[in-house]
Amino acid sequence: MSPQYTVSATPEAEEAGSVALAVASLPATFGPAEADWADVVVVAGTPGWTADAARTVESGARGVMVINPVPEDTAHLAAAAEAARTAVVLDLRWASSPALVSRIGEPDARDAVRSGLGTAAMLDSVATAAPGTDSNRLLGEHLATLLTVTGMLDGVRVLRIDPTGYTATGRLANGAPFAAQGVLTSARPAGVDIQLYTLDGGVNISVPDPLAAWPAEVRVRGSHGEVLLPTLFESAHRAAWRRLKDHLDAGTLPDDLAGFARLTDLYETLT
Amino acid sequence: MTSQPQATRAFTDEKLGVGILGAGPVTQAIHLPSLARLRNILEVRHIMDVDASVAESVAARVGATHSTSMEALLGDPAVDIVAICSPHQFHADQVIAACKAGKKAVLCEKPFAMNADEAARISAVSQETGVPIIVGAMHTFDPGWLAAEQNWGDLPEKAHTLRSSIVLPPNARFEDFATEIITRPASGTPDYSDAEVIKNMMRGGIMGLAIHDLPLVRRFTPDFEDIEVLQARHVRLFGYVISLRTGTRTIELRAAMNQTWKPEWTFEAISDNEALRIEFTPSYVHAGSAVATFTRGGETVSYGPFDHNGYEGEWRELAELARGTKQPPSAQTLIDDLTFALVIADATVDSVAAGAHA
Repeated sequence: MSPQYTVSATPEAEEAGSVALAVASLPATFGPAEADWADVVVVAGTPGWTADAARTVESGARGVMVINPVPEDTAHLAAAAEAARTAVVLDLRWASSPALVSRIGEPDARDAVRSGLGTAAMLDSVATAAPGTDSNRLLGEHLATLLTVTGMLDGVRVLRIDPTGYTATGRLANGAPFAAQGVLTSARPAGVDIQLYTLDGGVNISVPDPLAAWPAEVRVRGSHGEVLLPTLFESAHRAAWRRLKDHLDAGTLPDDLAGFARLTDLYETLT
Repeated sequence: MTSQPQATRAFTDEKLGVGILGAGPVTQAIHLPSLARLRNILEVRHIMDVDASVAESVAARVGATHSTSMEALLGDPAVDIVAICSPHQFHADQVIAACKAGKKAVLCEKPFAMNADEAARISAVSQETGVPIIVGAMHTFDPGWLAAEQNWGDLPEKAHTLRSSIVLPPNARFEDFATEIITRPASGTPDYSDAEVIKNMMRGGIMGLAIHDLPLVRRFTPDFEDIEVLQARHVRLFGYVISLRTGTRTIELRAAMNQTWKPEWTFEAISDNEALRIEFTPSYVHAGSAVATFTRGGETVSYGPFDHNGYEGEWRELAELARGTKQPPSAQTLIDDLTFALVIADATVDSVAAGAHA
């Protein structure tokens, strides 16, 4: 049986998104395009990606996968995608982890965090990446992850940003402080840790890079003890592709661009 | 030949007498259980507390003399080592008095002074009397920290990021695991809307909580005198989010004391290619040492846990200092540690007062 949807990717997008691996893990659904035209086009999320994606939409692709996009105004692209009924899915480095937002009905980090926000005392988060990483870009990936689980961040400002990392700060919905620190080092695997402390417990989240299907860990702590949410051996890349499949099969449009607009709006206040 | 074994026995049999000023929860739950493990070298002989019934009750637990005045304890010839576990504001004068009383060693709970003038007076008296003083920054005596020190190579020169994170339940939870406490300080609900309350809580957070690990941070911060506060924010119920910077270091301090049952107490030093993470056990519970873990070049190496914590390490150190078998830390080190904490506390309070970061 041949795959339902053919896929093409630029070399840059292929490398950034480990596209061949992700596509190969959904072989009944996706397969490489052998002609010039593909059902799904993969776009690298480097500056200018919204224009690239919009052109792809206008060329008639049924789906667009954007790999790790930088904050950028998505309004034109969103309008084009809606008009063409094209599914645009964003493959975010950490925020697309299936442990953060799961399929309906399954426990995930977003529900755990939002359940604790009313009694939040502090949120402390550290993103780790290799030396030489662009700190600004890392900050965008980090904030995208935090927004995914918290829904909103207020009064965000960057206290410092330099070749060793950054510190950003702000408030959660109830006014409790949050801090997001970036640390550039090769001593530890890249990833992001999020610690939410509430008045009587909290949530610990550890999200690895999507280079392999290392599962994220989500631990929910309360008076009952601590619960490890079910581990999902699926990378953020594959989870994004699985969502694209669901939308293509159902003929629905994802809300990725609307969600990403919150990050773009937030990012604009920082720069 | 019998003289050598006899001499050895005589030396080890000669226990050092301990006197403790202040018999509150720290003495009851931390020091007495620690000393109980060291009865072969140390013996509690005098307990002083301004509350006579507390002094009597706590002293009775260990068969010690009790009193309500510092002078009585310092005048007790059975006391060789003085531990100062009184409220912060009494520390400096009591350290000085203990030195002048000719005791063999002094342990002062942190902080050993509340300002630079007090620190200078203590330094002068220590030099004049030759009495060794150590400050109860227990993590610097923790075998896990000491193992890290043996193995960290040039990390203190290379680290660019330092983090201290402390998450604890209310002290009472852990005190009750360690002993049967009598009398606890009264506590109330603070008025979080009062800026002065917040400022006092932030100062208390630095001088009472962060100060446990600021000597560790300073070991990795050669330009510690060049400190800048980027943010200082209060965390309810009690805690802080503080970001600091020097010319070469980023320092992040986090603390949250709430109703959780799960403690976390970590110190981290991170360079471009190496990271040290030390996980300390909580105070009070006598749960052994920290575990120090280095990650570098894809390798992870851990040291610990060892069977005792930094409080017991302090007492072992004090016994050696009192016997003259070990050299005391330099007074300058203690002063630099204190100055570092005071500068951060002052700048933090100023930052909160300015309202920009609260």
